[in-house]
Amino acid sequence: MNKTQDIIKAIHSLVPPDRNLKIMNVCGSHEHTISFSGMRSLMPENLELIPGPGCPVCVCPESDIIHAIQLSKKEEVVLVTYGDMVRVPSKKGSIRTDGINFRIITSPSEAIRIAESEPDRTIVFFSIGFETTTAPTAAILETGIPDNLFILSSHRLTPTIMEVLVKDREIGIDGFVCPGHVSAIVGSNAWNVFSEKYNIPTVVAGFEADNLLLGIMEILLQVKEGEFRTTNVYSGVVRPEGNEQARKLLDKYFKVSDVNWRGIGHIPASGLELREAFSDRDARKLFKLEEIREEKIPGCICGNVVLGKAYPADCRLFKKSCSPKSPQGPCMVSGEGSCNIWYKTYK
Amino acid sequence: MNNIEIGHGSGGKLTRDLISSLFLKYLSSSELHSMEDAATINIHSGKTAFTTDSYVIRPLFFPGGDIGKLSVCGTVNDLAVSGAIPEYLSLSFIIEEGFSLNHMEEIVKSIAEEADRSALKIVTGDTKVVERGKCDGIYINTAGIGTIVRTFTVNDVSSGDVVIVTGTIGDHGTAVALARNEFDIETKVESDCASLDSLLTPVFDINGVKWMRDPTRGGAATVLVELSEETNLGIRIVEENIPVREDVQFIADMLGYDPLYLANEGKAIIIASEEAAGSVLEKLHTHPLGEYAVIIGEISSDFQGLRLKTKIGGERPLDMLEEDQLPRIC
Repeated sequence: MNKTQDIIKAIHSLVPPDRNLKIMNVCGSHEHTISFSGMRSLMPENLELIPGPGCPVCVCPESDIIHAIQLSKKEEVVLVTYGDMVRVPSKKGSIRTDGINFRIITSPSEAIRIAESEPDRTIVFFSIGFETTTAPTAAILETGIPDNLFILSSHRLTPTIMEVLVKDREIGIDGFVCPGHVSAIVGSNAWNVFSEKYNIPTVVAGFEADNLLLGIMEILLQVKEGEFRTTNVYSGVVRPEGNEQARKLLDKYFKVSDVNWRGIGHIPASGLELREAFSDRDARKLFKLEEIREEKIPGCICGNVVLGKAYPADCRLFKKSCSPKSPQGPCMVSGEGSCNIWYKTYK
Repeated sequence: MNNIEIGHGSGGKLTRDLISSLFLKYLSSSELHSMEDAATINIHSGKTAFTTDSYVIRPLFFPGGDIGKLSVCGTVNDLAVSGAIPEYLSLSFIIEEGFSLNHMEEIVKSIAEEADRSALKIVTGDTKVVERGKCDGIYINTAGIGTIVRTFTVNDVSSGDVVIVTGTIGDHGTAVALARNEFDIETKVESDCASLDSLLTPVFDINGVKWMRDPTRGGAATVLVELSEETNLGIRIVEENIPVREDVQFIADMLGYDPLYLANEGKAIIIASEEAAGSVLEKLHTHPLGEYAVIIGEISSDFQGLRLKTKIGGERPLDMLEEDQLPRIC
């Protein structure tokens, strides 16, 4: 018997026979590991592993995508953003299909290089994602960016959305597996609120199947003992206080704001916008961008998939009109999106 | 004159010059040298395998091969997995105006070398040239004829049979992806592009060998999904046993590819009875191309479709991909 099998055995013995449990992961890479390793096939029947809001491009509001497309159509502008983002659909198409001047970058420092090599053009960095991608954007602001580079910030806060999920009784979360990368920035202490205030067993886990299984086992231990804490099983990478320097930079350049989440709606204090002191770098201010009303995609249940209220396979578009080649909703686009992952791992 | 001109495909003097200075220089069959419109060949009275394929790979030259070698190997392998000994090959080129004659010569040399390896006679051919921009350098079409010495059919595949792969998977797809220079990665991954006749022919004699296929486009997973559909049987493959080079796995992880779906050009999947498996592996292991041959799974009547038993012991279905991970891979 190897270690992995021992953990799986322990999971089976720890699950209370008389109730159904739902453990939510909040990270596309976790969902990737769970699905590709066939982990669900190894779980007890009354233990559900549900994917939550772990995919950055999935929650980016349609309004920002439309603004990005429109900005890329301005002659003087070059829009730069991450690869997955250009393929996310909106009612006005995607950046890839309907944008004109846009480039894909893999890190914010590339945005600087583009801005330096094209000083006569206005470079707009459509900066999206959770704390993991916000930190590098704050870092370039700290080192200084060229005058022709502006930020279209569409960053979101993971702990805030998780708190929304906890309060939604329809979902009924019995345990959280918190994202490893985000935790490296915010620290495992950032999740204490869930175990302390809401009595939800909480773990920080890495991305190997073994480590995730260990996290699940720890959650079940807490369920059994009735004692709730935030346990870090990814301590090689994540510290309790996180990356203090990155957190300081986040705080220096960004302030918490009320924002929309795609398919979910308006959530107070769940996003990050540039602070007033740096508003001269803010593409929203420069181009006076106003919020555009989101339109529902007929039949698409991405919002509920992100909230853990539905599985991708529950969607009537799944594997029919919606596929990675022609995604109808945002969760089918990125390799971190639940629908995209399920497309490849479930029949 | 260092480049292909439109006239090289006109059928006139330039065409004839190209044939004599290049094709006949390297390709030695008497049928080709007789320069008739159609080759006269002898086919024995038994069953004959006849196949055709086109090659549009980008880039034309990649670590481990080029479009010329690939066009011979690909055709030889289609014949070999059909239980045939490859004998004759036709060769048609569609070339873009301006294509380098030096490159052309390299390609024809590769073709000649690879054909010699299988004692394959190139007996007929054709050259057409299209205007600049109308094709990407060069495309090659082949047809191959071989003598069938063993008939394989999916109807013989049954529950309890094992799935053998003759070596590491995903090498070709990875090498070509990297050769496109779209990623800044340096590795030693080479295409596995090779003719498999000398590896597979000895296996033809073993009773209990039921079916073979070379997993090119779509990779091993696609071939096995097709097999499960044709047989209505289940196939379970074991992740831990699937041979993947470490660097191939690393690059695939990085680029989001799955080696099970990456193209191979020098591998075969063999379905054999459990009893025959030992002899098959023994024969394969004596050949350099079969050094890493291994059983990766089994056929089952308990379910339908292709399933992967993962490293942690979980199971998940494998389906065909909506589209190739990498287009123009062969």
